[in-house]
Amino acid sequence: MNDMMKNLHLSETELESVLIGDAAPASAAHLADCGSCRTALAEMEAPLAGFRAVTLAWSERRSATMPLRDLDAARRRAAAGLRQRFALSTGLAVALVVGVAIPVLHRTAATETGTNHTAATAEAVSASPASPASPASPDEQISHDNLMLKAIDQELDSRAESPVSLGLQPATRSHQSYASETQD
Amino acid sequence: MSQVPAAGRVASELDDIDALVRTYRARLLRFVAFSIGDADLAESITQDCFLKAYNGRASFRGDCSVNTWLTSIAMNLIRDQQRLQKFRFWRQARATAIDVTDAASFLPSHETSPETRILAKEKAREVQAALEHLSPNQRTVFLMRFIEEMDLSEIAAMTKMPINTVKTHLHRALKSVRAQVGGAR
Repeated sequence: MNDMMKNLHLSETELESVLIGDAAPASAAHLADCGSCRTALAEMEAPLAGFRAVTLAWSERRSATMPLRDLDAARRRAAAGLRQRFALSTGLAVALVVGVAIPVLHRTAATETGTNHTAATAEAVSASPASPASPASPDEQISHDNLMLKAIDQELDSRAESPVSLGLQPATRSHQSYASETQD
Repeated sequence: MSQVPAAGRVASELDDIDALVRTYRARLLRFVAFSIGDADLAESITQDCFLKAYNGRASFRGDCSVNTWLTSIAMNLIRDQQRLQKFRFWRQARATAIDVTDAASFLPSHETSPETRILAKEKAREVQAALEHLSPNQRTVFLMRFIEEMDLSEIAAMTKMPINTVKTHLHRALKSVRAQVGGAR
């Protein structure tokens, strides 16, 4: 079996699998015994190892010759950013508290006022002598409404400014007639 | 070894931003630079990465290495840049493109012969050129595997790809790079 594997050698794909770190156990076993495949693998790996070494040399040189120019400034920026974030979050928290507190207080006050108003209304309604509990029939309802309208008219008339109180003469007969005609 | 002392050690490592930068900057810069192909932008992203890591060090759970954690932050920053369309990878980054040919001269001379350095320079230039032809996903997994030397499960976890998808991307990327580098048999 080993002789056969040595004669077959690993294919390019198998060698590439070894390179990428996905070697099959059989390939690893073959490599351990086959110098030819080890040489082939080393040849495949050489450009990659060279690239790794050259690029590391480049980056080390660049890192050594070019210090992190903005690191301190960036630290300060980061600290300033933290302070800004703190100030912003504090402001937002205050705004949130105020924004929540004002409507809540307003609602509480409105509720108290509404309760008083409702209570007062209920008292007024219950104390009103003109408010029947419930009309017995439509005719009674109509008569009740008429009475109520009449009472409203009287109330309005009593509140109207009297011409006499304003220093004017009482309306003449013709004027009263005109008024009644126009009302008709 | 228990997990708690390791996590504590890592936490103290993250608390010292200067030490963090000293230790990981070169590797992180390399990953970012060869992901985006723009050296100057890579510097900015690397810097942002360290600040983000430092500011968010409390969220590090210690379930991966610091280098892997930093690389994942860098990867997210690179994606943010892609989304913002502030630059287009490679093709529009010529102004500050990385000159890997020049980079090869930085190889330590006491470790390599002049011939090796010349060969490495040439191959590195070819690999860099080949990276331009990879898709962003292929390039990312390629760099994670062959530059950062991460294993498949780490790559899958960082990229949130199924492991078989990672393998597929890696196989395609490797074939493409080898075809252009001239190493294919």
